[in-house]
Amino acid sequence: MQTTDRPAVSARALTKVYGHGAAEVRALDGVDVDFAAGAFTAIMGPSGSGKSTLLHLLAGLDQATSGTVHLGETNLTTLDDDAMTRLRRDRLGFVFQSFNLLPMFTAEQNVLLPLDLAGTKPDRAWFDTLVGTLGLGERLTHRPSELSGGQQQRVAIARALIAKPEVVFADEPTGNLDSRSGAEVLSFLRRSVRELGRTVVMVTHDPTAAAYADRVVLIADGRIAGDIQDPTPESVLAGLEALRTLEGPAGTALVGA
Amino acid sequence: MLRLTLAQMRRSLGRLVAAGIAIAIGTAFVAATLLAGNVLTRTGYDAVTLQFGQADLVAQGPIDDATLTKARAVPGVQAAEPLTTGGVYLTAGNRSSYEMVLGVAADERLRSVGVSNGRTPSAHDEIALAPTTAERLGVAVGDTVSASYSVPPADPDAVDAQWEEKTAALRVVGLVDDPDGAWRQYGGVGLATTEDIRAWSAAGPDDPIATTLLVATADGSEQTREALATALPDTTVLTKDEAAARTISEFSQAGNVLVTVVLGFAAVALLVAALVIANTFQVLVAQRTRTLALLRCVGALRGQVRRSVVVEAAILGFGASAVGLLTGSALAQVALAVLNRSEIQAPLPATITLTWAAVLVPLVVGTLVTVLASLVPARAATRVSPVEALRPADAPEASSRAGRVRLVLSLLLAVGGGLALLGTALGAATGAADPMVWLGLGVLSGATSFVGVLIGAVLWVPAVVRVAGGLLQRAGSTARLAAANTVRNPRRTAATSTALLIGVTLVAMMSTGAATARTSLSRELSDRYAVDVQLSSYGEPVDAAAMDAARAAVAGVEGVREVQPVRTVQLLAGERQLEVVTMPDPRTLVRDERTISGLSEGRLVLPSSASVVARNDTPLTTTDGTPVRVTTAASNLGGSSALADTVTFDAIDPDAPVSGLWVRLDDGVNAANVSRDIQDVLPSGAPLGVESAAAERQGYEQVIDTMLAVVVGLLAVAVVIALVGVTNTLSLSVIERQRESATLRAIGLTRRQLRSSLAVEGALITGVGAALGVVLGLAYGWAGAATVFGSAGHLHLDVPWRDLTIVLAVALLAGLAASVLPARRATRTSPVAALAVD
Repeated sequence: MQTTDRPAVSARALTKVYGHGAAEVRALDGVDVDFAAGAFTAIMGPSGSGKSTLLHLLAGLDQATSGTVHLGETNLTTLDDDAMTRLRRDRLGFVFQSFNLLPMFTAEQNVLLPLDLAGTKPDRAWFDTLVGTLGLGERLTHRPSELSGGQQQRVAIARALIAKPEVVFADEPTGNLDSRSGAEVLSFLRRSVRELGRTVVMVTHDPTAAAYADRVVLIADGRIAGDIQDPTPESVLAGLEALRTLEGPAGTALVGA
Repeated sequence: MLRLTLAQMRRSLGRLVAAGIAIAIGTAFVAATLLAGNVLTRTGYDAVTLQFGQADLVAQGPIDDATLTKARAVPGVQAAEPLTTGGVYLTAGNRSSYEMVLGVAADERLRSVGVSNGRTPSAHDEIALAPTTAERLGVAVGDTVSASYSVPPADPDAVDAQWEEKTAALRVVGLVDDPDGAWRQYGGVGLATTEDIRAWSAAGPDDPIATTLLVATADGSEQTREALATALPDTTVLTKDEAAARTISEFSQAGNVLVTVVLGFAAVALLVAALVIANTFQVLVAQRTRTLALLRCVGALRGQVRRSVVVEAAILGFGASAVGLLTGSALAQVALAVLNRSEIQAPLPATITLTWAAVLVPLVVGTLVTVLASLVPARAATRVSPVEALRPADAPEASSRAGRVRLVLSLLLAVGGGLALLGTALGAATGAADPMVWLGLGVLSGATSFVGVLIGAVLWVPAVVRVAGGLLQRAGSTARLAAANTVRNPRRTAATSTALLIGVTLVAMMSTGAATARTSLSRELSDRYAVDVQLSSYGEPVDAAAMDAARAAVAGVEGVREVQPVRTVQLLAGERQLEVVTMPDPRTLVRDERTISGLSEGRLVLPSSASVVARNDTPLTTTDGTPVRVTTAASNLGGSSALADTVTFDAIDPDAPVSGLWVRLDDGVNAANVSRDIQDVLPSGAPLGVESAAAERQGYEQVIDTMLAVVVGLLAVAVVIALVGVTNTLSLSVIERQRESATLRAIGLTRRQLRSSLAVEGALITGVGAALGVVLGLAYGWAGAATVFGSAGHLHLDVPWRDLTIVLAVALLAGLAASVLPARRATRTSPVAALAVD
């Protein structure tokens, strides 16, 4: 929606190569992409297209072979492990497919964990806002094993947002959820962008999920293969379909939508 | 199925190796002990055989002159000599030494030692000395030494029958050569005529002169043996080897007891190893839940799954035991080589002898322990249901509710045993019944309660860990994370802590017991050995100037705190002789002033050996019968001299000369060394004998300390095994929590924080195990000491703060160290792993 000119995250000539020689796999091959601040962007593509690798590199979880990633003014590719860890702690948030809550902590302890690690005091008002928005008020003292999948993922979203990060990365956040819980989680992500002013980048292979985003970036064979603004499930499906037909035996062309 | 087992073992190699180390250490312990036992037996066997010279036959039984005559008359017997042994106390100048002496056999074949320098004694009052004795006495061939020995009263039934001290001047005619070290374990041996030895041993003309008769025969035939046996019906006639074996079986009882005791410690080590193994397998099974479920899906029977786990344990147990056997043998061989290089007083073989028992026992025991330890995890493996293969993968939590039966049993044993132990300690203090009975009861009830504590460990150790972790809550997020992680798998944490707890409890118990024993005994020892060093002329008059010179010389010796001149007078208490001594200030001289608290003007303090005089209030007289007007007080003072203050003494005999010097040493000096220094500085004009009670007292203290050091060393093996278990548990947890660690790294946990979190976890597990062990050990040590020393009255419960602090510090450091390797692995995990679906 209210996108500004300066992107929250930007990648330039981003390349990631696994293996050597004959076993060499170019998971990402010179990707240039910007993600606007205050927007909800989805990354889509077929299996093995490199969308997960792109997310890992954008989030500073993995080292790029070449190219740069900027978070605001910070060049992630020059940071050492400790600086990178602190940056993830203070400036990024994560939502995982399998929730990844710590089973021995309560929901509240899980939410506050990033602040705990940083040794900073939680902003109580923000915590209450998040708990209210995500509807976790009744569940704060429960452990993950006592929560449903959708509730666990909402706790994970609260954990991702608690430190007011510049960008939240979500990797298939609805992959382990039934469609109702999935829809719930996606609306929460969208609300956190529209009402709380956050930036969310989400990887998904589900066109319906992608339709919740403001923009969809299509990726195939390690390259950007398309860009859809204000997507609907139909337009996303069409884009994916176009990729598939062009990916035929002779297909090498790039499509823009 | 075997192929699958092997494949699974390959996948879990690292963990199995870590568990194998625990078993290998335990079996190495067993193997080394058994091999040492063999060496011990072998050494004794060789020594005994050497002592028989080249005898063909050995007759054992009472050997007297008649036996000798009969034996020599048997056809085929060329020579028969008794193996006569005796002892004599030798003095030369102011040096003295006890010497074991052999009778010279007339036939050379029956001599076990020769003479290298000079000649063999052949006449009355001649002696050949062991070279070490000659050196100690400072004499050479041709010198004269004085021998003192006791002879019984002529009429043993007389009212005041007393053994009589006799002395004889012996000429040193040679130095004994014992090239094979047949008598080295006795500190060397001297030679004298059989007649002299018989006189020194106070044997009558018809008394047996030996218990062993050495016989040389013409042909060594069975016929001669039978003839000899017929001629000597009171003896057992054996070949040399048979006799050695028989002697060994008698006197190596002590050696066997030692081996048994050490094997007991090896058993403790193996028990701890078994806990580590059981723990490892439990986790292996938990980790393989999916694989096991899959196997069950495709048709594996419960029995097959169980067999797979047990076979895996058997392979691991056998492999680790083999490694342990090799390590133990190597250790024993290295120890033997080191001992052979040092100047040890026993003829040791150059190499260890591998017997079937020494090889098989460690292998079988190690394998068996491993298999037994795997049985419970194997049962857990059979409980995995096929459905679990279809469930989404999640960290398998090996949580099962600890049974109520366990709680009741544990409480019953722990509380019952504890009360019984308390009762035993209190009962022993009353002094009723045989102390051994109380000791047996104490061991039994202590062991019972400890078993109860161990059975219940899975219930209460996690609770303690939780409390300890709660204390860490305020120490920051990493500590909180560690505390939460430690109690996640209570069963595993309990087992790991318990393995350490066993070792630490035993170590703490031994050092508490030893500390209490030392404090309790020290009062007793300071009474019995009240005067550190006594110099006495044994009744010979000493020139006053020479005595002053001696006093000045002794006062100058380093380590001497105080020297006081002692005057002596002989009194009579009825028929009994009583030596009374005085000195300027006895209170500063004795070790513990309380020993002579009864001393006052007009009152003597009697030594405990003469306390009957005080009890009966026997009137004292001088040697010519004049009554002495003093009272007496009994005391625990050792020795044979009564103590008087100067005023009282002067009233009895104001002219008594100085007859000796009493010396108080500085605290903490080596009394034996200082005593030798005192002996060396004595001027030749003062023929004073030196007796060092302090050296004897320190000897006792040293025995306690040495035993403690040995026992703690042996138990430390169990602690080391337990620490291997801690490393193992931590690395397993790290592997299980890979996803979590990655998540934490992704949301901002630095490598340092992850490392320190694991370090805290390790320290928490070991710290709780060690702290509980120290508390339990303290209680058991006190109970044990109360049982043993309670009846002696001098009980003083002591806390060996230093030792306990060391134990705790070692455990905490080891816990931190145990986290290093797992932490390396954990920090290598990329945060990307958090995003992985499976």
